[in-house]
Amino acid sequence: MIVPIGPIHPALKEPIRLKLQTEGERVVKAEIEYGYVHRGIEKIIEGQTWQKGIYLSERVCGICSYEHTQTFAETIEQISDVEVPLRAQFLRVITNELDRIQSHFLANSTFFKSMDHETLFMHVLELREYAMDSIELLTGNRVNMGWNVVGGVRMDADERHFKPILENLDKIEESFDRVRALFAEGPALALRCKGIGVMTKKEAIKGRAVGPIGRASGIKEDLRNGHYTYDDHFDFKVIRRTEGDNYARTLTRFDEIPESISLVRQAIENMPDGEIRTPATLKSGYAMRRNEAPRGEVTYMIETNGSLIKNISIRTPSIANMDSCAKYMIRDVPTVADAVSTYASCDPCVACAERVAITNEYGKTAIKDIYEVK
Amino acid sequence: MLDAIKDVVRKSSIHVCIVNCGGCNGCDVECVALLSPRYDLEQYGIYVHNNPREADVLLLTGAVTEQWTDNLKRIYDKAPEPKIAVAVGNCPQSGDVFAQEGGHVHAPASDFIPVAAAIPGCPPRPSEILEAILAVGPQAIADRGREMK
Repeated sequence: MIVPIGPIHPALKEPIRLKLQTEGERVVKAEIEYGYVHRGIEKIIEGQTWQKGIYLSERVCGICSYEHTQTFAETIEQISDVEVPLRAQFLRVITNELDRIQSHFLANSTFFKSMDHETLFMHVLELREYAMDSIELLTGNRVNMGWNVVGGVRMDADERHFKPILENLDKIEESFDRVRALFAEGPALALRCKGIGVMTKKEAIKGRAVGPIGRASGIKEDLRNGHYTYDDHFDFKVIRRTEGDNYARTLTRFDEIPESISLVRQAIENMPDGEIRTPATLKSGYAMRRNEAPRGEVTYMIETNGSLIKNISIRTPSIANMDSCAKYMIRDVPTVADAVSTYASCDPCVACAERVAITNEYGKTAIKDIYEVK
Repeated sequence: MLDAIKDVVRKSSIHVCIVNCGGCNGCDVECVALLSPRYDLEQYGIYVHNNPREADVLLLTGAVTEQWTDNLKRIYDKAPEPKIAVAVGNCPQSGDVFAQEGGHVHAPASDFIPVAAAIPGCPPRPSEILEAILAVGPQAIADRGREMK
């Protein structure tokens, strides 16, 4: 029997249709139907200036909106050989990690909601508000920050911003261990998480899973390791687990939060003096840049002709994660309720996923136009 | 007499369904933030079910994409009377940045279903959304209930 879920359903936050093929209670196969949120952002950006492009790229996804603007700015900087001042790089790290903290808290709270565990849902959302406060304090906005510009950041920050941010981080750390232990050591939750929705490392590579979802299955990749700011000035540990089930995915996200908190602290402690923005003269050319968003790698491929953007292609992590979720994670879960919580554990973001990007069999080239595929 | 009782009941128990008809998620995460202990939507008697079949208020977010042009009306029809739709953010009102050449959106949402109130912002703050639901919600539902007779 086929059980359709969505596009509007109590268990889903965003419009998507899950088709579950069941045998009795057991789900044997799943399929995801996309297309409810396709707005055609890439087509709109074509022929615009970068000022308009960066504004639109922020609205690709509302949850990880920050990383999209940073990657967009860095791609244009790479084309034009602009070197970003060190102070701007450090400010970018602070915002990036605060965004990661709030995104991971939100993903975990959605997972607990899908498991009908209201207590943890509330605890986690309460902690998230401290991260949102810090973001609002620094940038003036809660969700779409508009923080990046080509050549630096929009505004400077000083002690008046840093001190409350550090206090907010203290408040998160105060109850973080208790909340994490509620999940990690609570017997009722662990019974419904452990061994459900298992994806092995081999399957994760085959399904091209990225970010915390891939790392929960044993993949080592974290693109912050190859980023120039993180490589030269910051220390952090890549969290990795091997079980690949719902429990591992949620705990991976939980464990990445203290690392992000420590990165923010490092950035504030070692904040260099200097400019926050350099004037940029745009050149024409093509560049590709990959960055680690909260959900995994974001890729921007941009071709510019001097002042205007000629062509742009955006590859987001959600599409790979959701595909591997449908193919491998939901494949053999015991009940339909577990299928929904497994889907929530892969941190789906439908607004991200509605892109047109096709990779060939070996993942080497990305073709943007759907009609170019031979 | 019955009307008065119904009005009182409706004012203190509002069931909400968030309908994302093609936005960037920003407004949806702000609606989820409303559930957090800081704002605590449920203390005002508002429950977020995400189930159109038991909703009194449909929170519309997003700029009505191609797929939603006919589905939006169907979702609205599924909700029992009396019901109202509240547009959250700029997208359902004007299409925001997506209503340009190349975009696949059909904003405003009021072309497809009646919209009782609109909250501008990209995205609006949780406190603004809460204020709007509380300000227009109970009265609009009560009015709509009398209209239906």
